[in-house]
Amino acid sequence: MPFVAAVAASHAPNILLEPGAEWEEFMTLHYRMAPQAAGTKPSLEAQQKLRQDAEHAFSVLRADLESARPDVLIVVANDQFVNFFFDNIPTFFVTLADEVRGQFTRHRFHYRNHADLGRAVLKAGVDAGLDLSFGEDIELQHTQLVPLHFLLPEPEIPILPIFVNTWIDPLPTPARCYALGRLIREVADAAPERVAMLATGGLSHFPGSPRIGEIDTTFDEGLLEQMRAGQGAALADLTLEQLRQSGNTEFLNWMVTVGAVSDTPAADTFYMPDHVATGWGFASWKI
Amino acid sequence: MSRYHLNRFLFDLKMKPGAVDQARSDLDTALSGYDLSGEEVAALKTRDPRQLRPLGAHGMLALYLMRLDSEFDDNIYWTQK
Repeated sequence: MPFVAAVAASHAPNILLEPGAEWEEFMTLHYRMAPQAAGTKPSLEAQQKLRQDAEHAFSVLRADLESARPDVLIVVANDQFVNFFFDNIPTFFVTLADEVRGQFTRHRFHYRNHADLGRAVLKAGVDAGLDLSFGEDIELQHTQLVPLHFLLPEPEIPILPIFVNTWIDPLPTPARCYALGRLIREVADAAPERVAMLATGGLSHFPGSPRIGEIDTTFDEGLLEQMRAGQGAALADLTLEQLRQSGNTEFLNWMVTVGAVSDTPAADTFYMPDHVATGWGFASWKI
Repeated sequence: MSRYHLNRFLFDLKMKPGAVDQARSDLDTALSGYDLSGEEVAALKTRDPRQLRPLGAHGMLALYLMRLDSEFDDNIYWTQK
């Protein structure tokens, strides 16, 4: 069965925090790192509007996913010092566990992991000269859980977490991530299951840097426009420097999905800067 | 090598059970378990995460220094990873 659907979504923690008290707590902490950003602090009404807009975007993505009736959802995300530390940083990592778990505030998640598909990706990678790391003990974190809360709240199908190093130099190039996406597409098209993919992260944000609080909305809008125009292959020409300067290194996760869909135009995109830290972006491709 | 230990201390505050309590009760003893320079120890004792990045702390780990600040004891941010 083929590759049947692809979506991409931001994983900013505040997407899943409740407007009001939870946002205020988050921002109190955030502004200690970014006091210059406090001037654009969103009102409660603005927080509620952001949440409503994000829920609408997720509802469209979820409907697209469900209409494709996938048997497994590959989740491409980055680790943020939960599973990996400077002892050992994989550029790409495929999860071979039987099951995966994680917690986000009061929300707990437990999914079966599709290790067989993971092994197929690893084997295809070795055959193609794209050698991937792998392991059996990983913990899910906000980079997977925020989008999964909205897209796959019940563990009706297994997932397959694949990690991309998006924050610790040297990073993989956008072209390399695109190539991984092409490889996964070939594996998916030959798999007995109906395979869907979710990429998470971005868009523009500068966590923990002197630029924290900035959001490059122009660059973000350009990325989404190119995806809507079906210019996926051209996105592989992006440089790491462009992604760094626009706070978009997590777009490397998206580039894996862009590789899987190639020049298929995105059917839907949504964008809302949160005025705090992150340009929330969403996209869906119908295959 | 001390940059590794600076990040390791912050990573342990995030991930190692008991590390936050230990550092809060006796920061000097907690830091003695890491191979840190005097400059790094001084920066950590400021409790200001923005002092750490120029010394090589990863930006995503630096904020975990705020685990030592009682103002953020019950902050919801710590209930997710």
